[in-house]
Amino acid sequence: MSDTAPRNPSGAPQMLADALLRSASGTTALLRVTGTNTDTSMSEVGLVATTFADVPVSPVLMRKLRPTWQENGESKWELLVSATSVEQQINTLDLPSAQSLFAMTLAVTVAGQDYLIESIASNEAFGQVYLYRLLLREARQQAV
Amino acid sequence: MQNAKDSFYMALRTRLTEINPQRTILVRGAVRPGILVEEAEAPFSQFPSDVFVLRWLCLAVDMNLDSTMTGEQCEIVYQTCGTQSFGGLDRGRALSAMDEELMAMIQPFYTPKLNYAATPPAAMLTRVFWDEPVFSPIVTQRDRLSRSATVLVYSYEEQGE
Repeated sequence: MSDTAPRNPSGAPQMLADALLRSASGTTALLRVTGTNTDTSMSEVGLVATTFADVPVSPVLMRKLRPTWQENGESKWELLVSATSVEQQINTLDLPSAQSLFAMTLAVTVAGQDYLIESIASNEAFGQVYLYRLLLREARQQAV
Repeated sequence: MQNAKDSFYMALRTRLTEINPQRTILVRGAVRPGILVEEAEAPFSQFPSDVFVLRWLCLAVDMNLDSTMTGEQCEIVYQTCGTQSFGGLDRGRALSAMDEELMAMIQPFYTPKLNYAATPPAAMLTRVFWDEPVFSPIVTQRDRLSRSATVLVYSYEEQGE
């Protein structure tokens, strides 16, 4: 039987998640997002240096996953991201959802190291997301 | 070689907009025709559904000609889970529709070679041409059907390339 009892929206789970992330030595991650393409034909074939912006999200927490991943030996990490911070950036960038923010993200930088997003999950309580969990893989060095 | 790859992609892209303008994808904040080059986009952890993804594979070169001819193998990968309104039960039909669109996009088997590094793109002297696509068997992964088609794309190297 489903629970249909009405509940007032509360920010308590988000505040609790933020407090836990901060207390567990939470840090800042930078989401490298792309600007909207204007010149389609050149950007579609990799000719235009697309405009990038680093969007900070904080507090976040990195944790290394058990090394079951084998493909090319890169380490895999899970990034726990504060939903409050993501919401702020969604409002700042005037985006419809967190999914669209992550879809625009080319790489995530934490402590100078770039990571690629493998998958995204979220944790909810009382119908509100309080934590995003990004599965990350270490990015390889790119030419300067 | 890069000009041939760019020209091939742009030819398919232009043809797709005429064949099925509804097939689009939102990439980097822009709505584009539903075809993209894998190596010119952010790395995918999973291919997007209902769009054509071009992946460049082998390269062969024939230097025993007046102009060097190159042949590059292009794999066109596409997959679908069907539509929500049919609960995914139309995924077979959706894949067939993509098969037909691809066959229509491929013809005619040539396009002018352009240099897209110039603005506007500069026409070159030769054409890019290709042979008939070779379709792979359908791969079924639970609710997703995928297929790829391989095309050999030929071009002559011109001065300055």
